[in-house]
Amino acid sequence: MYQALYGLIKKEFIQVFRDKNMLRLIFLLPIIQLLLFGYVVNFDVKNLDLDVYDFDHSSQSRELIQTTSANNYFKPNDEVIALKNLENNFKNSSSDMAIIIPNDFSEKLMNKDKPTISLITDGSNANSTSIGIGYMLQIMQLYTQNYYNIKPKGEIRFDVLYNPEAESVYFMVPGIVATLLTMITVMLTAMAIVREKEVGTLEQLLVTPIKGWVLLLGKIIPFALLGLLEIIIALTFGVLWFKVPFVGSSVLLFSLSGLYLITPLGIGLFFSNITSTQQQAMFFAWFFSVFAILTSGFFTPITNMPIWMQYITYLNPMRYFMEIVRAIMMKGAGLQDLTFQVVILTIYGISVFGLSALRFSKRIS
Amino acid sequence: MRKVKFIAIKEFYHILRDPKSLVIAIAMPIMMTFLYGYAITLDINNITVAVIDYDKTLESKELVDAVYESTYFSRPDTEPSEHDPEALLRSSQATAILYIRPGFSEALLNNRHFELGMTIDGSDNNLSAAVLNFSKAVLNLYLLDHLPNGIEIPKIEIAVQNLYNPDLTSSHFFVPGLVGIILMMISALLTSITIAREKETGTMEQLLTAPVSTRQILLGKIIPYIMLGLLDGFLVLAVAKILFDIPFVGSQLLLLAFGLIYIAAALALGILISAISKTQQVAMMLALTVTLLPPMMLSGFIFSIKNMPIPLQIFSNIIPAKFFITIIRGITLKGAGVEILAAQGLYLIILMAVLMFIASKKFSTRIA
Repeated sequence: MYQALYGLIKKEFIQVFRDKNMLRLIFLLPIIQLLLFGYVVNFDVKNLDLDVYDFDHSSQSRELIQTTSANNYFKPNDEVIALKNLENNFKNSSSDMAIIIPNDFSEKLMNKDKPTISLITDGSNANSTSIGIGYMLQIMQLYTQNYYNIKPKGEIRFDVLYNPEAESVYFMVPGIVATLLTMITVMLTAMAIVREKEVGTLEQLLVTPIKGWVLLLGKIIPFALLGLLEIIIALTFGVLWFKVPFVGSSVLLFSLSGLYLITPLGIGLFFSNITSTQQQAMFFAWFFSVFAILTSGFFTPITNMPIWMQYITYLNPMRYFMEIVRAIMMKGAGLQDLTFQVVILTIYGISVFGLSALRFSKRIS
Repeated sequence: MRKVKFIAIKEFYHILRDPKSLVIAIAMPIMMTFLYGYAITLDINNITVAVIDYDKTLESKELVDAVYESTYFSRPDTEPSEHDPEALLRSSQATAILYIRPGFSEALLNNRHFELGMTIDGSDNNLSAAVLNFSKAVLNLYLLDHLPNGIEIPKIEIAVQNLYNPDLTSSHFFVPGLVGIILMMISALLTSITIAREKETGTMEQLLTAPVSTRQILLGKIIPYIMLGLLDGFLVLAVAKILFDIPFVGSQLLLLAFGLIYIAAALALGILISAISKTQQVAMMLALTVTLLPPMMLSGFIFSIKNMPIPLQIFSNIIPAKFFITIIRGITLKGAGVEILAAQGLYLIILMAVLMFIASKKFSTRIA
């Protein structure tokens, strides 16, 4: 029996890696993901392109413009076109905001007479626009404080725990681990089983004296192993290249990854039950992955979502695994801190995998 | 031309015979629009912050009120405990804790320097950066309201006018861009897999021995997917209009024209992928790696390109989605015309032509 299982696993690996491109992809996928997420994910709003229309031409207005480039918030551009064409720079996205300083700015400033400036924004990027307006308010405050020479007396001393360098890659790596594990296992499991149906080799396997559950194990173990291999590649690369700190226990992380894996494997199995071509299987797997990734808190915190959407996220097993990976890697959480997530994932694993396996063995016998 | 039609019809039957795939090819864009519109909001509001007030004076209470009156911060469900307030951070019930130390009001009233303390859960660096900025802003406003007697600062007023999206709704930014992501995904992925399937199941040889040229096979294969892609594009725009009330100011015809160019580029990528992969599994993995992540990450769809490292900024120029997303945002939200989008349009056409050339070359040498 073990021999049969071993044979099946070996066959599966040969099939997966028959195309050399697959081998490259297995190694490249986590690395490309890490590089992209590590270098690209950056919600900082900086270097906003600011068209400057200065009608005052005073030393005060020039100083104000200078202040806007503080902290790299804005990149002021004062070689601008005629005011009536202001919108053109928004329409081809070469500018984010335009500031108009009226010709009475310096005069009013000197007379302590509340000067007004106009800020016209390309509001289509809602997020960066609202943050940019906030920056502008800060800059005006800073400028007036400097101009009238009044220094604020109070300050806040910040003490940032867990990720004091505020590196987004530290936050992203745990997310990538969870994403990769989910996508690889669901997709490859679903497609591998359906492939046998599509090409017609499932019947051949069924007439061999291999038991149903051995066949099942032989089909899913290779992809569980591949999923774990992806995690190892992602973590190694993350730790070596991006110097991501790993505070908690790696043994705990791997054991809980093993626990979590049961659910996506079960889902992959379920998809293979209800589909008959690889294309369908891939589509279902993909549909699920998109849902799982977007509602897992990978990109944006779940607390930012509308309340009803927050309830939907509880249906997503990946959400709990994401919390587990982040807590272990970043906060050094132990098993006792993660009881809730572990219990939920166990329930998910048993029910999803159990039901799919039952249906699978019913169908093939 | 008639032969192309037959292959296209055969491919159509393939699609129609498989209603499950078709349903997903249609449901997927709708679900993605839905999720991106609702689940992905970058507006950071109502961050849970606990305040521990050791000063307990009128001034400190006013500061506490100022913290919670801002839309940035909200109260945690549980009050922090006296001896271990940071437990709230470990259990993620609060993102930050603000400490108002004894002597705060005395210092404030006597115009002496004072310090507040704040402990932040930094694991989500975006959230912690927001807390840092917001709390500084709240304190600054508070201080301006509590200036020592006799000092007055005239504020500079800012008259803000937000064009195109006056309420600053996130979905107006994401949803049009999503058309670019979905078109790339559907077109590239489907074509790559359909050709790989013919190879894997052995029907490719049958096609090749038939009296049609590879060019005709290619054309016949992609026509159905151009239509499917267009259908998906319309669906996303319809959902955008109905659910998220996204304006469509510009010319629909112009968008259609650019849409077709973009789909052609995506299909070329799909053909290229199928030419170099032997099985559907590999085609799918390759398509995922090439057509899902880079368009999402490097196109300005979510993350602004100008904040990326220079090598990636340069690399982003070979991603067709980057130009298409600028174009579709320009047309739908801002009503940009062809004269304004000329540079982006030209880039897109060049990329499409190059991709088409490489794909048809690779396809004929690999397949035939």
